[in-house]
Amino acid sequence: MIYLIGQLLEGGYRAWSFLRLLDYLSVRAIGAAMTALILVLIVMPRFIWFLHRRGLVDHTRETGVPSAFDKAGTPAMGGVVMVGAVLAACLVWCDPTNRFVWAVVAAMIWFALIGLSDDVAKWREQSGNRGMSEARKLVLQGLFAALFVAFLASPYSPLPAREAGTLYVPFVKHAIVSSVWVYLPVVFLFVVLVGNAVNITDGLDGLAIVPSAFAVATLGFFAWIMGNAIWSRYLFFPLFPHVGELVVFCAAFVGAAIGFLWFNAYPAQVFMGDAGSLAIGGCLAALSVLVKQEALFLILGGLFIAEAATSQVQDKIGIKWLGRRLFYRAPLHHQLQHTGLAETKVVIRLWIVALILALVSIATVKLR
Amino acid sequence: MRPVGRAARGLRAPAGGEGDTLEPHAMTAFSRILLTGGGTAGHVNPALAIGRALGDERTAYLYVGVRGRAEADVVPREGVPIRFVRASPYPGARPSLAWPGFLFDLLVGTAQALAIVRSFRPDVIIGTGGFASAPTMVAAAILRRLGLTEARLYVHEQNAAPGRLNLLVGRLADRVFVAFDDTLAAFPSNGVLAGYPLRRRIRRLDPEAARAALDFAVEPGRRVVFAFGGSQGARTINRAVVDALGSLLPHKDRLLVVHGTGLRRGAGALDPDADARARLAERYTEEERRAIAGFYVARPYFHQIEHVYALADLVVVRGGAGTLNEVAALGLPAIVVPKTNLPGEHQVMNARALAASGGAVVLYEERRLEGGEAVEALDGAVLASQILSLLDTPGRLEQMGASTRAFVRRDALDAIRRSICGEAAAPPDAAAPPAGGRLLSSEALLYALEHRRASTVPAGARRPEQPAPADRAYYVARAASLAASPAWETRNLGVKLIGLLEARDKLPVLLAILGDRTPAPWYKRALGGDYAQVGFIRRNALTAIARLGVVTPDVETRLSASLDDPYYEARAEAARTITALDRGLSEAGRARLIAGLIGRLGDRWLEVAAAAAEALGRVGGEADALPALLALADHRFWAVRAAGLRGLHALVERGRGGDLDALERRVRAFPLTATDFRPEFSIRTAYARLIRAIGAKRSAT
Repeated sequence: MIYLIGQLLEGGYRAWSFLRLLDYLSVRAIGAAMTALILVLIVMPRFIWFLHRRGLVDHTRETGVPSAFDKAGTPAMGGVVMVGAVLAACLVWCDPTNRFVWAVVAAMIWFALIGLSDDVAKWREQSGNRGMSEARKLVLQGLFAALFVAFLASPYSPLPAREAGTLYVPFVKHAIVSSVWVYLPVVFLFVVLVGNAVNITDGLDGLAIVPSAFAVATLGFFAWIMGNAIWSRYLFFPLFPHVGELVVFCAAFVGAAIGFLWFNAYPAQVFMGDAGSLAIGGCLAALSVLVKQEALFLILGGLFIAEAATSQVQDKIGIKWLGRRLFYRAPLHHQLQHTGLAETKVVIRLWIVALILALVSIATVKLR
Repeated sequence: MRPVGRAARGLRAPAGGEGDTLEPHAMTAFSRILLTGGGTAGHVNPALAIGRALGDERTAYLYVGVRGRAEADVVPREGVPIRFVRASPYPGARPSLAWPGFLFDLLVGTAQALAIVRSFRPDVIIGTGGFASAPTMVAAAILRRLGLTEARLYVHEQNAAPGRLNLLVGRLADRVFVAFDDTLAAFPSNGVLAGYPLRRRIRRLDPEAARAALDFAVEPGRRVVFAFGGSQGARTINRAVVDALGSLLPHKDRLLVVHGTGLRRGAGALDPDADARARLAERYTEEERRAIAGFYVARPYFHQIEHVYALADLVVVRGGAGTLNEVAALGLPAIVVPKTNLPGEHQVMNARALAASGGAVVLYEERRLEGGEAVEALDGAVLASQILSLLDTPGRLEQMGASTRAFVRRDALDAIRRSICGEAAAPPDAAAPPAGGRLLSSEALLYALEHRRASTVPAGARRPEQPAPADRAYYVARAASLAASPAWETRNLGVKLIGLLEARDKLPVLLAILGDRTPAPWYKRALGGDYAQVGFIRRNALTAIARLGVVTPDVETRLSASLDDPYYEARAEAARTITALDRGLSEAGRARLIAGLIGRLGDRWLEVAAAAAEALGRVGGEADALPALLALADHRFWAVRAAGLRGLHALVERGRGGDLDALERRVRAFPLTATDFRPEFSIRTAYARLIRAIGAKRSAT
């Protein structure tokens, strides 16, 4: 919004020429990050009390025994504030005509709403076991993935037409696939998979938010390169006009994430809930697709992939089919806890892993 | 009032007499009655009885059934014309290969039945359930919907648990007559409690006349046990009776076992009589068979079953509603062996109802794998001891007989006729029989048993309904049957239930499962599977063995083998089971198990090593366990070191710590650095204390 106002005023009056600054991505990105961060810091404490009073608290463990050691009773749904802060920051600092931003924001809101209704269902049932059914969640996510894929293939797609069906892999300069009929099903599966991966990762205090921030920041870096004529030519990336606007979104996200970590750091005062984790998953999926880094996400989001994979392997192959456990526990973070690592230790070690993966991903920019 | 087909010569108005017969009445009889119901005789006889009660000499009857089933024999014998339609049994809720055939038969059968109903133009249609009645009932429902028939539609449900078809069609019927009080709940708007319509020929004859009429000698003074599984026989009863003969041999001079083995139904089906004779030849020597012949009479079929009834002191029967009501009407005490895994477990429900009234003892068959084939079986020895205990308890049979007689509603036909003719219903002559309450599904049973104690029930949830003690025998038999299922999930459930029910006599089932080394298919092994008895089953079998608390040499051998199980949870569970069975272990067995546990301290899976360390502390001694546990000081996982310390603690408590100074020196050298800790939220501690204090105060006042 500020961007539009700035352009309007700057064109009309010489006195407003300092608003030229708003043309710079860097200025708007920093502004968005600060806005989101401050919003979360201001709103979240009030929201936490609101959740407490309404009894919108976590019901994950059904032991029936009040314990001094567990965390039942911590409010969930903190993700709502995070999503709201990102939205507000984008409204203020983004170019509202940019279709890249619209696509990501749509993904975030859609997935957040799925998660929110799941959270509310769990709260109504007063049980962590009885949320929305897995099948219904998948159908709703699949529906979005289908719409998203249709949008990308349509004339309204923000992507250049010749890039509509291209799939890039790390360390290779050129697209390995350039057929819409191969690419779009891949995108569909990718969106559904990544959409849920963060949800599975979100099991320990601070475990989901920090790696998400790393990943979003890295994808923002890619957006900046691909939207920049000089850098994209230099690094042999395809040039996507206007994709740079995603940098502002990513910055807002990182700002909100830091604000959320303020409260979510061990021992957590608030959980993000499905509203948060699915929204983050939706963002990551949409961002990766829009900057053509779906394959890179296997590295960048390796932690999320590993969490989702261990969980699925343990449950679907091991417990349901083979009739045995293949790991002590799943997903990955519970396995690590089971081998004798404290929660804080697991979280910090996995942050380090996520950081390494993000750095490796950034390194692929030059190693092509 | 035109006669149709071969005229209904066999059906006449009753001559009156016995309590369950129909008094001559002045009502207007229906002129065209369509009867259907079948698949088994249990559905056919009530249909004929009701039909007979509603008509008179001039009534035209037509029966619709399925070729080759019970109705094809019984109905023509009664002189009622029969026409056949296609139908096949309901294949179960799960999709299976039988479904397309079932749907095709239902479709064709319904079309045939539509034509039959349209051409016969009945006043009344009576359905008594069973798959053979499905096409006719569906056709009748369709025609009524379309207004193409004026016929009234009545349903009779003989069983305590209503059949699927009757539940469905019952809603469209004018009235549903039920035999059990509990069944009324299924038909809230149009259900009528009537009882079971008995064939009128059944009555208790004079024993002396019966003795003379039979083709075998029944010496006075012998107690007569009459076992039969219906006209087609029941393999479970046949084999159990033959097996029981061995245990009954010592009583050969005071017993007579009369055995109706059953007729073979169609080519290709099992010949029950031949099966029973083969069993006899296989189980007993020539000499034993000669002795058995002195007190055992087997016939495929008794044409005058009333003569046998007249002489019987005790019957062994299946749990079909028809058989039970017949037996009850005669006041015969019964051992009931209900057929299990039928829709709604209706035979079990019937048998429980009769048992609850005190008129019967129920023995449950269970599914076993015999030579790779799943067969339902009942132990002959169990049957024999039950027979003997009933015969030898003075007054028991008389009391049971009195209870069975009270069980029957004798005015069933009258009640049905009055209800249909709009006459005021006669007041019931006896209170409705209690059906014995609901049976729990296997899953509900598991949940109930796992949450027996209130503290294990999730916050806010109600404590689950616990199984009735009277039904324990049934649940144990069901658990054993589940454990022989082809699907591993079901076997797993059975194994868990055996443990939770503490069914000690099923220990051999658990041991056989643990010893079963059939490999899993290669594609499962490629992904981490090992045996067909999957890891969870082996783990849970060990848990169950711990619950049973019985130690035999076989158990020790199995435990020792399970310490080397390829699945880590099974190994860990074996260690815990050894702890649980500690007191019962033999000296040699203990030494072998301790050696095995020491071997497991080096297990690659820390959970196993930790479980072994704790177990060693509980069962081990100074010479073997102590040095092994002390050696855990440099284990790389703190959880195993901690388990080692707990094991040592147990040794010290048990006085097996050896030289305590030396022990303390060694323990002080344990590295205590760990990567985990338990957080304690002070506010939660304060809160939990307060809640507990409030609870304590409340229960004190």
